[in-house]
Amino acid sequence: MSEIINVGMADYRTARVPDILMTAGLGSCIGVCIHDPVQKVGGMAHVMLPTANGSAAGNPAKYADTAIELLLEAILGLGASRARLRSKIAGGAQMFAFPGKPPVLKIGDRNAEAVTAELKRLSIPLLVADVGGSFGRTIHFDVGTGELRVRTINHGEKVI
Amino acid sequence: MQITQIQLDALKEIGNIGSGHAATALSTLLQRRIDMSVPEVWAVPFAQAADIIGNMDEPQAVVYVRVEGDAPGKAVFFFPLVSAQVVVRVLLGGDGEFDLFGDELAQSALKEVGNILVSSFLIALTKFSGIPLQPSVPALAVDMAGAILDAILLEEGILDDIVLFIDTQLSGIPQIEGQFIFLPNEGSLQKLLGALGV
Repeated sequence: MSEIINVGMADYRTARVPDILMTAGLGSCIGVCIHDPVQKVGGMAHVMLPTANGSAAGNPAKYADTAIELLLEAILGLGASRARLRSKIAGGAQMFAFPGKPPVLKIGDRNAEAVTAELKRLSIPLLVADVGGSFGRTIHFDVGTGELRVRTINHGEKVI
Repeated sequence: MQITQIQLDALKEIGNIGSGHAATALSTLLQRRIDMSVPEVWAVPFAQAADIIGNMDEPQAVVYVRVEGDAPGKAVFFFPLVSAQVVVRVLLGGDGEFDLFGDELAQSALKEVGNILVSSFLIALTKFSGIPLQPSVPALAVDMAGAILDAILLEEGILDDIVLFIDTQLSGIPQIEGQFIFLPNEGSLQKLLGALGV
């Protein structure tokens, strides 16, 4: 039996096959999924904001530029090979459009950019990104197969 | 951010007066009795904010209004979809199901309800505190509650580790339930508390 491990806001968790990592209701946040397809271990981080801006305060798992490195260390700790790691990401939506006002900061887009840049910096190939749009996502990541199931309320469900 | 018990009680009173006016306005609009819970004031780590709104991927119709003025913040109304249907039906007539995701008329009816609720909340709050506050044009999202909450919390690209909510449950007969949340920005909290003399 596989277990479903829930990853909360600004949290990161790891798992071994056959367990599934899950996070519910991603809006402008990004679910970052990394796994080693041979060792069949992986992890997921629920990133909320692009950058900690060098501030030491607060939870490092909140920010793209600190959370992914923490996740990477944890996955390597499970015996994953650095060279085999692959990643997939989902989220980064813009949930509200205020009439007459341009979206000032588009935090979802900035999150997606920051996560992509950080994965590149850490040399972890990004296989697929399901980001943007104006709808929420609930994701399930199978660390054995690397399949990422993305469910939405009104925009279908897909496996990427 | 440290909050004393007296300040918590003052915030609860703010919630009580504001939400009472909002509930009366909703009641008048819908011609239904609307009951209001005693507001709760939460100062919680943001990860626990999820517990306040319940199931993160349950679809809800959410009206979001920015509060502008001398003590800015955010006002959010969460309607479960069943309640949102009832509200739209009462306002627009008919007994069919409305497409809350796409029907513009249904959506603007919900926004208008949010507008009236938040405006009455703010009028009460302004009278009580002497601090002028105005609502922005309301925005609506019909989607997973968690996705909407994170978008609202993170809108400015910053998030304090502790989030303060004033949270009121509204319930009515038949089948109208909702949750009203007011999130003062951090500087605003000091101003509101200062105006109340705590």
